[in-house]
Amino acid sequence: MENAIKKYWPVFLLPTLAAFIIGFIWPFIWGIYLSFHKFITVSKTTFVGIDNYIKVFQDATFVDAFWFTARFTLVSTILINVIAFMLALALTRGLKGTNAFRTVFFLPNLIGGIVLGYIWQILLNGILTNLGLPLLALDAKYGFWGLIILMCWQQIGYMMIIYIAGLQNVPGDLLEAASIDGATSFQTLIKVKLPMVMPSITICSFLTLTNSFKLFDQNLALTSGEPAKQSQMLALNIYDTFYARSGAQWKGIGQAKAVVFFLLVIGIALIQLYFTRRKEVQQ
Amino acid sequence: MAKKVYHDGAVSGAKRIVDAALILLLVALCLVWVYPVFLILINSLKLETAISTTTVFELPLGEKFVGLSNYIYGVTQMNFLSSFSYSLIITVTSVLLIILCCSMCAWYITRVNTLASKLMYLLCAFSMVVPFQMVMFTLSKTADTLQLNTPFNICIIYLGFGAGLAVFMFTGFMKSVPLAIEEAAMIDGCNPLQIFFKVVFPILKPTAISTAILETMWVWNDYLLPTLVLDIKKYRTIPMAIQYFRGSYGSVQMGPMMACIMITVIPIIIMYLACQKYIIEGVVAGAVKG
Amino acid sequence: MKKIIALALALVVCLAIAATACADASVYYLNFKPEQDAQWQALAKVYTEKTGVPVTVVTAASGQYETTLMAEMEKSECPTLFQVNGPVGLANWTDYCYDLAGTALPGYLTNEAFALKEGDAVKGIAYVIETYGIIANTKLLAKAGYTPADIKDFESLKAVAEDIQARKAELGVDGAFSSAGMDGSSDWRFKTHLANMPIYYEYKADGIGTTGAIKGTYLDNYKKIWDLYINNSTCEPALLASKTGDDSRNEFLAEKAVFFQNGTWEYGSVSALGDENITMLPIYIDAEGEEAQGLCTGTENYWCVNAIADQEDIDATVAFLEWVITSDEGRASMAKEMNFVTPFSTFTGEYAPTNPFVLLDAQMTAEGKNPVSWNFPTMPSEEWKNGVGSALTAYAAGTGEWDAVVSAFVDGWKTEYDLTH
Repeated sequence: MENAIKKYWPVFLLPTLAAFIIGFIWPFIWGIYLSFHKFITVSKTTFVGIDNYIKVFQDATFVDAFWFTARFTLVSTILINVIAFMLALALTRGLKGTNAFRTVFFLPNLIGGIVLGYIWQILLNGILTNLGLPLLALDAKYGFWGLIILMCWQQIGYMMIIYIAGLQNVPGDLLEAASIDGATSFQTLIKVKLPMVMPSITICSFLTLTNSFKLFDQNLALTSGEPAKQSQMLALNIYDTFYARSGAQWKGIGQAKAVVFFLLVIGIALIQLYFTRRKEVQQ
Repeated sequence: MAKKVYHDGAVSGAKRIVDAALILLLVALCLVWVYPVFLILINSLKLETAISTTTVFELPLGEKFVGLSNYIYGVTQMNFLSSFSYSLIITVTSVLLIILCCSMCAWYITRVNTLASKLMYLLCAFSMVVPFQMVMFTLSKTADTLQLNTPFNICIIYLGFGAGLAVFMFTGFMKSVPLAIEEAAMIDGCNPLQIFFKVVFPILKPTAISTAILETMWVWNDYLLPTLVLDIKKYRTIPMAIQYFRGSYGSVQMGPMMACIMITVIPIIIMYLACQKYIIEGVVAGAVKG
Repeated sequence: MKKIIALALALVVCLAIAATACADASVYYLNFKPEQDAQWQALAKVYTEKTGVPVTVVTAASGQYETTLMAEMEKSECPTLFQVNGPVGLANWTDYCYDLAGTALPGYLTNEAFALKEGDAVKGIAYVIETYGIIANTKLLAKAGYTPADIKDFESLKAVAEDIQARKAELGVDGAFSSAGMDGSSDWRFKTHLANMPIYYEYKADGIGTTGAIKGTYLDNYKKIWDLYINNSTCEPALLASKTGDDSRNEFLAEKAVFFQNGTWEYGSVSALGDENITMLPIYIDAEGEEAQGLCTGTENYWCVNAIADQEDIDATVAFLEWVITSDEGRASMAKEMNFVTPFSTFTGEYAPTNPFVLLDAQMTAEGKNPVSWNFPTMPSEEWKNGVGSALTAYAAGTGEWDAVVSAFVDGWKTEYDLTH
C-alpha cells in the first residue's frame, strides 16, 4: 500500500510542497541570506558580514521595543491564563446559563486585530478623557495597559474554552475520591484539578506567550507605537525599520532584526515547552 | 460534574449562595465584555460632530441621531462592499485550498514512511512558530515576482504560510486512524486517490471543520500579509479599508468608520452564533493537537 | 489519472505564472491626501477615456504614506508619480526623483521657488499651496463686541481672548480657543505649524533660510502664544492631553470655541458654519513688526516622477500632469472640486481659487502684509517634532517645565541635525 501511495506523490505532496516553498521555505532562506547584506533593492546587495546584527543591538528603539514586549508578554500571559482558568472553573460548576456565558466570553476572539484596536482606542480614549488623563497616544503607560486590556478581552475566551475542555476531562471518580478523603475544594483544585489540566496549561501558556510576543495588528491600530515609539513592540519595530526608514542600511538591519526576533520566539517556545512538559511528567 | 452527596444541607446552601454570587459576577463580566461592541454601535448612529472623546458614552438621542446615514456613506463612499467581497473571496479560496491540499499532504506523510515525509512534517511544525516578520519582506518580493497579488491567487501564499498548522492538525488525527479500512479499499481495487476521497476524507471531516475554522479566523482577519502582497491599486480587504477613514491632516471620519466596523463585526457575530458548536470544538481540537 | 495530476499542478503552478498585463505606458499615482481621493479617481478615469493611457490612483492611508511608498517601490509595478514634503523628504527619495528640468512642467509655475531643486535638477513640483492661521468665528466675536479688525497684534489678540474667556458663560461658549489635540491626529498644529512662527522670525532676523543650529531667539514669544492658547481654552490646561484633534474641531463647529488654529484644508468642514461667519487671523506672537504680518502660506506637497520607472511610463506621467494643469477638466477638478490653490500660471479666470481663506490671504498680501513662509521643511526630523510636541504637552499638563521645551527645541535641533548630516 505504501508503495502505491508513494507513486502518487505529485498529487498528494506536490501542491502543498510547492506552495510551502513559495510561501515559506524560500522566503525564509532568502531572509537569512539578506540579513548579512546591505541593499536598497534586492537585485544589488553587498555582503556586510554581521554588521547588520551589531547595528540591531546598537539601535535603542529595538532594545526599548524588546523590553516593552517582554514586560507586555509577561503581564498578559499571567493575567490571561489566571483569569481564563478562574472563568473555566466557574463555568464547570454546572451553573445556569453556562453556555450563554461561554458564548459571550469567546466572541471577541473572532474580531480581527485591526478592528479590535480601533474599538478599544475609541473606548479607552473616551474613558481617559472623562477621567482627565492623557490619551493613549500621549502616555506610554496607558498605551501599555490599554494593550493589556485589549489582549485580555480578546484572548481570555479562547483560553477559557481550552481550560474548560481540560477540566471536563478530569475523571469524576478522582474528584469523588478526593471528596471522600475530606479534601476541601481548594485542596481538590491544587492537588487534583491543577495537575490533571497541566496539558491545557502548557498549551494555553504557549499560545498566549507566542501571541503576545508576536503581537502586531493590535499594536498598530491601538497606539501605533505612540508616543515617540515608546509603546512600540518588536514586530512593529521591525515593520517600521523595513518600511518607514529610508536609507540603504535599514532594510538589511530590518531583516537582521527579524532573524533575531525569530530566534527569540523559538527560544521562548522551547524554554516554555521544556518547563511545562517537565511538570507534566512529574505528575 | 461529581455531586457532593456526602455533605449536609448547610454546605449545599452555602454552595447555592456562592453560585448565585458567581452568576451575578459573570453577568456583570458579560456586560463588560459586550460593552465595547455596543459602544461602537451607538456611536455609529450618531452625527459626526457629536462624536468626541468626551461625548462618546452618550446615547444617540435627539438631533444627534442620524439613523443609517453613516452606514450608507461608509458603504458607498469607501467602496466597502468590494472590500468585503475581496475578503470573502480570499478567505473562501484559501481555506478550501488549505483543507484540500494539506489533508492530502498529511495522509501522504503519515502513510508513506520516508525521510522526505519526516522532513516535511518537521518543517511544518517549525513553520508554525516562525513569526511573519521573518519572511515579511522576502515573501512580498517573491509574491510580486510570481504575480501572486490578486484575491484569486493569493490563496497560494496562504496555502504556503498556513500549511504548517493544517498539516500538523491532520497528521495528529491521521495517526489514530486504523489502516485496515484503507487496506480493504485497496484490495477492492481502489487507487490511492479513490481511497483518499471515498474513505479517508470522510473520516477526516471533523478535523477538516476544526482546521477550516482556525484558518478562517486567521485569513479573514489578517492585515499585514494582504497589505504587503495584494496589488493595492485594485484590491483592498476589510482590515485594510478600515485604515482609510483618516484624513491627511489626521482627522478621522468617526461615524462612517464605526459604521464600517459594525458591518465587519455583525456577520462575524451571526456566523459565530450559527456555528458556535463547531467553532468551539475546533478551538479545543486545535489546542489538543497543537 | 494524468488529468488529475495535471489539474493539481495547474492549481499551483499555472495560477502562479498568471499572465501579466500588457506593457503599454501607464501612470500610477500614489496620492497623499485621502480627502481628494475621489476627485483624483474621477480625473484619472476621464484622462483614460480621452487618451487610452491607463491611470491608476492609489491613496495611502493617513500616516502611512512613507510605508506604503516604500512597499510599493519594491514591487515590479511601482508608482510612477509620488510626492515628497520638501528638502528633508527629498533627501530620502532623491535617487527616485526624475529630473523634470527638461520637461514643460517647471514652465507652468508662477514662481521658481515652487520647484524643489537640487543643483540645477528639478526634482519636484509643488502642486498645492496652503495657508494657515487662527480660524475665528466672527459671529461669536461680534456677540462679544469685537470685529476681526480689532485684532491687530498679540496684545489685542490676548485682550480679546482673555475677555471672551472671562465672559464665556455669558457668551455661551466653553472657551476662547478650541482644545489642543496633542495626539497624532493634530499635534502637528503646534509642534510643526505653531513652531514655524519662532523659526520664521529667527530666520528673518538672521537673514538665513535654514540652519544646523537654531538659537531659539523667539522662544519666549512661542511661550506667550502657547500660554495664551492653553490658559484660554475650552478645558483646563492639564486636560489638554486628553483631547483629540477631532474634539478640537468639533468644539469649533459646535460654536463652543471662538478660535481654532488650522488651515485652508479645514475649509471643507468649517464652512458648515457659513462663509460669512468665519475668517482667518494671523498668528501673532508679539514679535517686532508683526502688525504687517500676514497668514502662513507655503507648501509641503511636491509631485515627483519616479526615475526608476520605464521611460515610456515617465513620459506618460509627465504628459498626464501637463494635462491636469492645462486642460479644462484637470483645472476644474483641482480648483473647484479639490479646492486646491495651485502654484500654476494656468489657473486663472474661472479656475482662480474660491476658498475664502485663500482669497483673504491674497487680499492681505495685496494690502502689504507679509505672508509668513513655511519653514518646517527645514526642521531636522520627525523625531525633533515629536520631542517638541511631548515637551509642549507636558508643559500644558503641568508635569513639565518650559525649559524642557526650550531644550527640545534648541538642543534637539542640533542633535537631530547632526544625526542626519
